[in-house]
Amino acid sequence: MSKVNELLENKMMPIAGKLGNNKFLIAIRDGITFAMPLIIIGSLFMIIASFPAPGWEAWLGKMGIADFLWKGTDSSFGLIGLIASFGIAYSLTRQFNVDGIGSGIISLSAFIIATPFISSDAGAGMPIPYMGAKGLFIAIIMGLLNGYIYQWFINRNIQIRLPESVPPAVSRSFSAIIPGAVIITMWLIIYSVLSTFDLPNVHDIAQVILGKPLGLLGNNVFGTIIVVGLNSLFWFVGIHGGNVVNSVMQPVWIANLDENRVAYQAGQELQNIITLPFMDNFVYIGGGGATIGLVLVLGYLARKKKTSKQTKALAPITVVPGLFNINEPTMFGIPVVLNVMLVIPFILAPIVNVVVTYSAMASGIVPLTRAAASWTMPPIFSGFLVTGDISGAILQVVLILLDVLLYLPFVLAVEKRFKAEE
Amino acid sequence: MKTIMLVCAAGMSTSLLVTKMEKAAEIRGIEVDIFAKSAQEIDYTLEQKNVEVLLLGPQVKYMQSQIESKLVGKNIPVAPINMQDYGMMNGEKVLDQALQLIDNK
Repeated sequence: MSKVNELLENKMMPIAGKLGNNKFLIAIRDGITFAMPLIIIGSLFMIIASFPAPGWEAWLGKMGIADFLWKGTDSSFGLIGLIASFGIAYSLTRQFNVDGIGSGIISLSAFIIATPFISSDAGAGMPIPYMGAKGLFIAIIMGLLNGYIYQWFINRNIQIRLPESVPPAVSRSFSAIIPGAVIITMWLIIYSVLSTFDLPNVHDIAQVILGKPLGLLGNNVFGTIIVVGLNSLFWFVGIHGGNVVNSVMQPVWIANLDENRVAYQAGQELQNIITLPFMDNFVYIGGGGATIGLVLVLGYLARKKKTSKQTKALAPITVVPGLFNINEPTMFGIPVVLNVMLVIPFILAPIVNVVVTYSAMASGIVPLTRAAASWTMPPIFSGFLVTGDISGAILQVVLILLDVLLYLPFVLAVEKRFKAEE
Repeated sequence: MKTIMLVCAAGMSTSLLVTKMEKAAEIRGIEVDIFAKSAQEIDYTLEQKNVEVLLLGPQVKYMQSQIESKLVGKNIPVAPINMQDYGMMNGEKVLDQALQLIDNK
């Protein structure tokens, strides 16, 4: 078995290294991460605005508060595309050792250029949908392209240089002018060509060429099972799977969530089952591998007198972090990593969670997710918050029970071995 | 004062270890500044702080070469934390590892 492990490690480590160290993927992941606080804050407003208590929504509406709460959501959660256009360019340029702020600002401007203005009697404005999920895919393309062009110019020293006596902060503001003018002009030309010939704008084009193929993997239950299985495999050889897999899939899950939010606000039916909270709060309960089942069994065993010392030592460091979906101590302490005794439930439990959650939502028993509650939010609370319905919390209880049952026989075997060792 | 930086994916699980290492250092009477950061924050933190050694959570061991390339010429050793010590949150042992890396510089 150690040979298989060795083989896995030797094969997967380079893949993880390549994916995890790829400048463009890092830029996407980190750039979108900048928007995370806004997603959570916007969700908070949304949860207040749509809290499932009888008469609450009607009362908020009557008091005139509801509109302001939705305004708060639109202006935070609803800006993920805009923020990503800055953040991705920033992060990419930084990785080429060039000042990222200049690059981010230029990319932000390019993003606005590519967005068709709408005009009304009150003046011209920007369509809010393009600032959010509808603009996320072009923001990714732009962030990468703009960031790359920007650093190309600076690293080849094609920039306005001022005498050394000028303070560095001042000369830095000048260095952005040449690459910035090139990038902005380029997008302006693209925009004017598309607009003149009545072609779809780049937002819509990007949604089709990038959003659709990624959606094929991210929006259906089979693609998600593959992604979840890969995550477990990476973790099994000790590599942070989420870090590797999510950089590709996270944009899709976030865009899906934002579409749900917009639909909810408009009073339409929600469309996307697989979203960020679907993954964070339902599939990966307790962390990658749905290890909540593992730590709960361990915690239960630790309370008994005859239990091994190892289990007793492990329970305090694994159970509490596990409730907040942090499971590194579990991974390396028990360990799960490279432990054949636990690999079966470790792969199976999150897949079962996918199937059960998907079925529960597709059949309408549990409402679809429409808000984010951060991945560290303990289950039961998070299920209620992200679906806005008590059935979300009940579903999590069911998932936890299933995960406990799945892990139970395997953890008992591990405990037996601990005992034998002692 | 020894400055030790721990890095993992989000800086969450290593922050558990920080508390344990601080306790271990306090018992031994060593003055330390230990903190946990996410991989994204490495560059920024290095600009702000005079880090003496950088330890990686084993789950981000694959980042080692990338991080080393950032640290060329800075004389900051980088090493992954032993899996068992990390899993058991063994502050003593990880502190030993960090101090040894600093001494060997």
